Amino acid sequence: MRARSNDMAAIPTGLAGGVLQEIAGRLADLARTGESAAIDLRSLPMTSTDLDELEHRLGRGEVAARLTLAGASELWETRYSGVWWVRHYGAGGRIAAERIEIAAVPEILVAHAADIAAAAARARCDLGGDASVTDMEPGIHG
Amino acid sequence: MGERETIGELLLARGISRRALLKYATYLASTMALPPMASSVMAEALAKARRQSVIWLSLQECTGCTESLTRSFSPTIEDMIFNLISLDYHETLQAVSGAAAEQARLAAMHDNKGKYVVVVDGSVSTRDGGVYAASAGKTNLQMLQETAQDALALICVGTCAAFGGVPHARPNPTGAVPVSDVIGGKPLINISGCPPIAEAMAGTIAYLITFNRLPDLDHLNRPKAYFGDSIHDRCYRRPFYDKGLFAKSFDDEGARKGWCLFELGCKGPVTHNACATLKWNGGVSFPIESGHGCLGCSEPNFWDQGGFYRPLSATTANPAAVIGGAAAAGVAVGVTSALLARRRKQQAAQQAAKEPQA
Repeated sequence: MRARSNDMAAIPTGLAGGVLQEIAGRLADLARTGESAAIDLRSLPMTSTDLDELEHRLGRGEVAARLTLAGASELWETRYSGVWWVRHYGAGGRIAAERIEIAAVPEILVAHAADIAAAAARARCDLGGDASVTDMEPGIHG
Repeated sequence: MGERETIGELLLARGISRRALLKYATYLASTMALPPMASSVMAEALAKARRQSVIWLSLQECTGCTESLTRSFSPTIEDMIFNLISLDYHETLQAVSGAAAEQARLAAMHDNKGKYVVVVDGSVSTRDGGVYAASAGKTNLQMLQETAQDALALICVGTCAAFGGVPHARPNPTGAVPVSDVIGGKPLINISGCPPIAEAMAGTIAYLITFNRLPDLDHLNRPKAYFGDSIHDRCYRRPFYDKGLFAKSFDDEGARKGWCLFELGCKGPVTHNACATLKWNGGVSFPIESGHGCLGCSEPNFWDQGGFYRPLSATTANPAAVIGGAAAAGVAVGVTSALLARRRKQQAAQQAAKEPQA
C-alpha cells in the first residue's frame, strides 16, 4: 500500500482498468510477434488508489527480484507471464521510476556484454591468470 | 590532456554496472516524458559518449542551486549524473583555490575548446562595470564573457541566472541582469526555479550528452519536458479549484481539508515547473502539499509581483467575483487542460521516438 499524503490521492479514477487493457494488448503482441513493450506508470495521472488497484489486479507470479545498484530496485512477474512490474527507488526510499514491462525477461535483469567481459577478466585474474578487460571481447552478447 | 574516456569506460573502472546506467536512463526518460522504450537506447548512447566537460560559474547567487543538485544522503540513482560529467571547475565544490583554481578553469577551456558546457548560477552584476561581484581579480561579467566565448552551450540554472532573480528585484542595487542579457550567439538553456529541481538540471545535461542537441525549449528557453505544464495543471488540489472550494486562511476548515490555495495567493496557475510531479526533498512533497501557495519562483520577476499572499485576480477585480467566475469556468478548463496535457505528451513522445536515430 502506498503512502497517501492527501485526500485526493485516495480517489479512484478508473485508469487502472485502462492500463490493464493496454497491457492485455501488448501481451498479445508479445505472444504473437515477440515485440517487447513498456508502460511508464509515472507518466500517467494515476492516484495511489489507482496504482494499488492495478497492482492488486495484476497480482504476483512466480518470480521476484531485488536489485542493489544506485539505490534499491525491485521487480516481480505478475500472475500474467511476461508482464513484469519494475520499481526503482531513489533518495530517501521514494519511488523514482515505476513501469510495467511486457517482455520475456525485464531488460534490467539481463547482464550487459560489457559487464560480462569485465567479469570474465576478473574471474581469470582471481584464479591467478593475467587477463585484462580489454582481452575479453564481447562475443555473442555484444 | 588526452581524449576523455567514455562514460561506459568510466563506469567499468568504477565498478558500476550497465544495469545502473540503464536504471538511470529509465529514471531520466520518465522525468522527461520520453517513450519508455527509449531508455535502453539512451543508456547505450550514454555509454558510448565521452564525459561532458562542465565549467560551473557561480555569480550573484546563494549556492542553493548547487545544494539542490548535490544534496543526497546516500549513494542513489540521483548521484549518477556525476558519472556523466567532468566537473572541471566549480568554486564551491573544488578542492583547489586561488591561482590553481583559475588555472583549472583555463585548462578546461583550452583542452575542450568548443566542446565544454558552461553552467551558470547567479545573476550578472553590470552596474559600475560589474564591480559589485568579482573574484580572482575579474568581475563576474568579465569571467562569464571570457568563459562563454568558446563554450558549446550555456545552461543557466536557477532564476537568478535565467531571469535575474532576487538580485534583480527592485531596487536592484548591483544592476543585476540574467545571463541572456550579456551573452549572445550561443545556445542557451534556462532551468529556472529558486532553486531549480535537480532532475531538471540532470535530465537536461543528460539529454545534451545523449542526443548531442538541445531539448525542445519554451519561449523563455526552458526545456518543455520540465516546464511545459503549469503547477496548476498538475496540482493534486486542482479538483478543489474546479469545484470552487478555496481555503480562505491558513487555519480555516478549507485549509485543513486541503482545498485550493488560490485565494491565499498561490501563483500555480501562472507558474511553469515540475514541482507538482517531481516534488522536493526526495519526493516528500512540494510547497502546495505542505500547505503554502506556490510563489512562482520559476517565472521572471517573481519577487516583484505584488505580494506572495495576494491572489492573482486581486489586481484586476474583486477577488470574490473573479474567483467565483474562475471556479465556474474551472470544470471546463480542467477538461481542456487535461486534453492539452495529453496532446503535449503525445507530441513529445512522437518527437522523442525519432531522436535516437537522429
